[in-house]
Amino acid sequence: MAGWNVFVLIAALSMPTLAGAAIGDIRLDDKIHSMEKAGVGPVVFPHGRHEKLYRCVDCHPGIFKDRRGANDISMKSNMNRKFCGSPNCHNSRKAFPLYMCAKCHTNVRAD
Amino acid sequence: MKASSKRSLLKAAFSAMLLGFIGFAAPGYVSSPPAAATDAKEPSANKTAPVLDPRDPGSVIYLDHAGKPAGVGDPSRPPSLAYKKGRGWHPEALTASDLPKDKFGLIDWAKSVRQNRIAPKPSLDPDEAADEMPPLKMDVLIPAKSDYVNDVIYPHEMHTYWLKCEVCHPKIFIPQKGANNITMVGIANGKWCGRCHNRIAFPLADCNRCHVSPKKASESAKSAAK
Repeated sequence: MAGWNVFVLIAALSMPTLAGAAIGDIRLDDKIHSMEKAGVGPVVFPHGRHEKLYRCVDCHPGIFKDRRGANDISMKSNMNRKFCGSPNCHNSRKAFPLYMCAKCHTNVRAD
Repeated sequence: MKASSKRSLLKAAFSAMLLGFIGFAAPGYVSSPPAAATDAKEPSANKTAPVLDPRDPGSVIYLDHAGKPAGVGDPSRPPSLAYKKGRGWHPEALTASDLPKDKFGLIDWAKSVRQNRIAPKPSLDPDEAADEMPPLKMDVLIPAKSDYVNDVIYPHEMHTYWLKCEVCHPKIFIPQKGANNITMVGIANGKWCGRCHNRIAFPLADCNRCHVSPKKASESAKSAAK
């Protein structure tokens, strides 16, 4: 009986480990009305792909506050060297440039 | 409870806390290959570093067929195939000149024009040169379709300095307000502005060079309230 209690205790205290280890794709669609006017769909941000390249501190909290909904990202802010368009990221030679819509947005209407 | 079971409980709690601590801290440190490994290579400058001054006839501005600087640049005795094929010039002659550059290191032709650094002939044909139209001073406001991105102000003057009307109208742009459904996706695919920009003129990565006119505050407030 003591063994069972111990097991439950360990499981309870390890839950944060399992939950916080890997963040999957993040859907960015706050400004979906504006996106649809521009002919693109919501962004699906592949956090895992960026996790492989960088440490947490490279982006958090300096560039992105690490809470969903806390960053007011718009294409205009990206073009002004904030968020995704930071000077060492997608506004530099290190990554693809901002005018390649289909790289981030889903459902890009090809004209 | 018994002393021994209290001890084993404490042991279990301690090891669980240790697990939890490592679980929180490890992801921050485990995945950290340096970003430098994925850097794009910077184009390397000419390593032999000859004197490159297009205005100096003695400088090395010709390449031979292997791509190396050829001879000492004596135009009366051209050693290079490039010269024989029609005055090919050293690709670094332009960058070595002191024409103004933009933030990408490319020559800023608009600034060169405004600073009167260049004086190109309007045409090789003397009759056409005589008919030369002066640049058209007309700015066109092209609204951006989204609610946030600045509107584009298209300057005819800078473009008509270089190009005559038929180059763009009507094949690329129908000369009527509202007649061209311009999209950024289309531009990136080589239509409208993308016929030249990203190929000959400055790249599309320079967003704020075209998107200069902020939307009125009421429009973005309207959509934020949605």
